[in-house]
Amino acid sequence: MPRREHLLKIGVSGIRGVVGEFLTPALACAFAQAFGTYVRGGRVVVGRDTRSSGEMLQHAVACGLLAAGCEVVETGILPTPTIQIYVGATQAQGGIAITASHNPAEYNALKLFNAGGLFFNNYERSELIDLYHQSDFRQASNAEIRRVVSDHLSAVQIHFDRVLAHVDAPRIRARKFRVALDAVNGAGSLVSPRFLGETLGCELAAISIDPTKPFPREAEPRAEVLGDLVDLVRRTKSDIGFAQDPDGDRLAVVDENGSVLDGDDILALAVDAALRRLPGDVVVNLTTSSVIDDVARAHGRRVWRTPVGEANVVETMQSVNAAIGGEGSNGGVIFPAVHLCRDSYTGMAFLLDRMAETGEAISTLAGRLPRYFRRLGKVSFEHGRLGGLMQELETQFPSAETDRSDGLKVTLPGGWIHVRASNTEPLLRVAVEARSPQEVEDLYGTVLRLFGKSE
Amino acid sequence: MAREAAKSLRISHVGLRGIVGDGMTAAHVLDFASAFGTFLEPGGAVVIGRDPRSSGVMIREGVIAGLLACGCDVVDLGVVSTPVIQNAIRRLDAAGGVSIGASHNAAEWNALKFFGRNATYLSTAEASELLDIYHLKKFTFVDWNRLGVLRSENTAIDLYLDELAGVFDFNALRGIRVVIDCSNGTSSLILQRMNARFGFKFVLINEHLEGVSFAHEPATTRDTVMLQLAPLMKPLQADAGFLFDVDSDRVAMASEDGTAASEEIMLPLLADYLLPRGGGKLIITNLSTTALVEEIAARHGGTVVRVPVGRQAAIDALSSYRPEQVALAGEGTGAVMMPQFRFVYDGIASMLAVLSMMHERKKKLGEIIASYPRYSILKGQVPLVSQRVPALLAALRTRYKDGRQNAADGLRVDWPERWFHVRVSQTEPIVRIICEQRGDPPTELYDALLEEVRRFA
Repeated sequence: MPRREHLLKIGVSGIRGVVGEFLTPALACAFAQAFGTYVRGGRVVVGRDTRSSGEMLQHAVACGLLAAGCEVVETGILPTPTIQIYVGATQAQGGIAITASHNPAEYNALKLFNAGGLFFNNYERSELIDLYHQSDFRQASNAEIRRVVSDHLSAVQIHFDRVLAHVDAPRIRARKFRVALDAVNGAGSLVSPRFLGETLGCELAAISIDPTKPFPREAEPRAEVLGDLVDLVRRTKSDIGFAQDPDGDRLAVVDENGSVLDGDDILALAVDAALRRLPGDVVVNLTTSSVIDDVARAHGRRVWRTPVGEANVVETMQSVNAAIGGEGSNGGVIFPAVHLCRDSYTGMAFLLDRMAETGEAISTLAGRLPRYFRRLGKVSFEHGRLGGLMQELETQFPSAETDRSDGLKVTLPGGWIHVRASNTEPLLRVAVEARSPQEVEDLYGTVLRLFGKSE
Repeated sequence: MAREAAKSLRISHVGLRGIVGDGMTAAHVLDFASAFGTFLEPGGAVVIGRDPRSSGVMIREGVIAGLLACGCDVVDLGVVSTPVIQNAIRRLDAAGGVSIGASHNAAEWNALKFFGRNATYLSTAEASELLDIYHLKKFTFVDWNRLGVLRSENTAIDLYLDELAGVFDFNALRGIRVVIDCSNGTSSLILQRMNARFGFKFVLINEHLEGVSFAHEPATTRDTVMLQLAPLMKPLQADAGFLFDVDSDRVAMASEDGTAASEEIMLPLLADYLLPRGGGKLIITNLSTTALVEEIAARHGGTVVRVPVGRQAAIDALSSYRPEQVALAGEGTGAVMMPQFRFVYDGIASMLAVLSMMHERKKKLGEIIASYPRYSILKGQVPLVSQRVPALLAALRTRYKDGRQNAADGLRVDWPERWFHVRVSQTEPIVRIICEQRGDPPTELYDALLEEVRRFA
C-alpha cells in the first residue's frame, strides 16, 4: 500500500487536517454538533489560535454547537491553556480550542475539553467519535436554539491569577529581568507581553507578536528554528529567552548565553520548583529524561511513567494526584494547581521564580542538573513491523527492565531505549539516553542494526 | 410519514426552507452556503442578513463558515429585512447575497434565499446550477491562506432609507397618521429609524423583535390584519394601517374605518398609482391574482401578463422583458416589485407608494379602495394525492370548455367578469381553488368546483 500523507485525520484525538480540500467547514460543523450532542447542550467555550483558517472554523463550530442546542461562549484568540482554565473556572459544559498547536500553518484542528476544562479522556473520546460516526445528533428546534456570547476579556486574568498564586511575583518583579520573547505570531502574541511585561515587571524584548501575521518560523519551537530568538537574547543581553508554539502550550527556553535549553531540563527545573512548594508525585511519559527521576528522588517523591501524549500524562496525574507532570520533549509543564493542562505560562513563571529566589543565572540552574545525553530520531517504518523489532530488542537485552505500555522501553543500568510507532505518521520514533555521548551512539546504533535485522 | 418529512424540508429553485431541527439542519446550511460560494463568480463580497428567528443565529454561523471556506468575503448586516440586503448588494457591488429568514412562515421555520450580482433572486437557470452543485457536493474550498474575511456593517438600514428618500417625498408623507403591525419582524427596525431620522409618526405594534413566539402568524392576509391592526384604526384615528411579514417583503393593509383590506388589493392599487406616471405598461402577475388588475390596467392602457404561481415564474418573466417595459410585478399576497427598486419585493416601498397615492389624491386608504369596482374572490383547498391531478385537470377542461383556458399552472378558465384557477400547491399535497367574480361572490361556480375536485380526492 502506498504511503500517503495524512492530510485529514478523524480519530480519538479529534479532527485535524489541512484546511481547504481536507478539513472542510462541514466536517468541523458536524464534529462540533457531535460534541454538542455529547455534552447535552449547555454552555460551550470556543476559542482559537491565530491561524488564518481559525475564523472560518470558529463559525462552523459555532453553527454545529448551536444546532445541538448549546450556548456558545466565544473567547476570540487565546492560548489553549487559557481556554481550558476558563472552561473550568466558568463551569461550562465543555470547550473547543481551534488550533493545530505545533503543526504547520496549513493545518488546523479541534481540541476538545470536558466540563472541567480537561482534554477528553480515552473513554470520552471514543464515545464522541462513535456519536460522530452515527450522525445521530441533537437537533435543537427554533425555541431551543441559544445564543453566542462574546467574552474576550476575563479568561486571561483568571489564568494569570492562577499562575501567580504559585510563585513569588513581587520577588520576580523586584528583579526587573530582561526577557526576550518569540511568540511566533501565535495566540501568545498579546497575552505573553502582558504576562511578562505588565504582570511580572520584566523588561521585554519581543519578536513575532503580531497575531494578524503568518508564523515567521516553524510552529514547533525546536532549537533549530529559534535563531532569531537566540540573536535577540544576545543582542539585548537578556537574562532568558522564551519561545512559544502557536497555541501557547509548549515552551522553549534560551539561556543568557544564547544556548537553547533541553526540553527535559526545562521540565526538570519546573518539577524542582513545584516540589519545593507542594506535596505529591511526578508523572512524565516514557520518553522523558531520567533527570526527572533524579530531581524527584532529591525531594523523596515517586515518578510515574505513561505512554506518550498529553492526555495519557494528565489521566495518570489525576489518578495519582500528582504535584506536577509533563512531557520533556516539548517543554510542556503540567501543573494541576494551576490547571491539568500543558501551560507555557506556568513554565515561564517557575523559571523566573527560581532565578529570583536563587539569584542565579538560568544557565547555572540548568547546569546543576544531572547530565544526561540523548538522541531522538525517527525512521520511516511500516506500522506492522514494530512487533518484530520489539522482540529483537528484548532478546538483545535479556536482563533489562522492560515497559510495553507504548511500544517498548528497555531500561539498562547506564541508560534506556524507547521505540514506538508515531500516532500520526508511518514513522518509528527512537529515543535513547545514556550518561555519555559515546554510550548514546552505541545504543542508537544497536537499535538501527536490529531494525535492519528485523526487516 | 414520508409525506410529513417531505413537508418540513424543501430544497428547490427558490432555495432551502424547512423546520429547523426537524428537517432543516446545520449540515444542510453548510452545504448550501458552500454550494453558493462555489457557484458565485469570483470577485466581490457576499452580503448576508437575517430575520429575528432564534435559529437565525445558528444558520448565520453556518452560512459564514461555508462562504469564507470558498474564499468569499462576507459582509454581515445583522438583523435586517430582505430588501435591505438586496439594496446593500447593489450598493457594495457585491457578488451576491443570502437572506436568512422564513418570511411569512411560522417561527419554527427558517430558509435561505439567494441573490445574484444584480441583487435579484436567481433565475431558474442559475438556481438549477446552484442545486446541481449542492447535490454533487463538490465544493471549491480554497487553500488555508486564501480564505474569505468577515466584516460587519451597521449602516445598511440608513443607506437603504437614503434610496427610498430619493424616490418618495418623505416630507409630504410624514404627516399621514399610520398604524403598523410589524409582526415582530425586521420592518420594526426600519420604521423606528424613519420616525427618528425623518420625523414620521408611525404608531407601531408588535415592534419587538422576537425569536420564538410571534404575536400572530406573520402572514400578510386579511385574517391577520383583522386580529390586532384593524381594531386599532378607529380608536387611533389612523388614515391607513399596514402589516408586514417578518422579513418585510410583503405587506397587507387596513382602512381608516377598521376594515381589513383584501390581500388582493395591493397590486391593483399600485397599478392605478404607477401606470399613469409613465414608464412601462406591463404588469406581471400570477394566474391566481384578482382580475381587478386587468380592469385597472385597461383604464391606463396597461397590459397584464399572467404567469404560473410562485416567485420563480415572476423572476423568469421579468427577465424576459426590458425593464422599461414593466410597470409592476407582484402577486395577491402583498408581494410587489417596482422598477424604481430594480424589481425587489419590498413591503416598505409598497407602503410608501400607497401613502404617496393618498397624499396626491388627498384621500384616506378606504376611500381609494371604495372607488374601485367590487370583485369577490373565494379561495379553498382540498387534499389530493398528486397522482390524481392529471385526471382532475382533464375533467375540468372538458366540463368548462366554454371559457378561455390557460394550462400553464393547473387550469385557469376565464369568462367575462368571472374566472377560476385550480392548481396544485408546491408545498403541500393539496389542490387550491380560487374563483372570482365582478360584483357578488361566484358561489355556484365555487361549489361546483369543490364538488368536482372532491370526486378525485
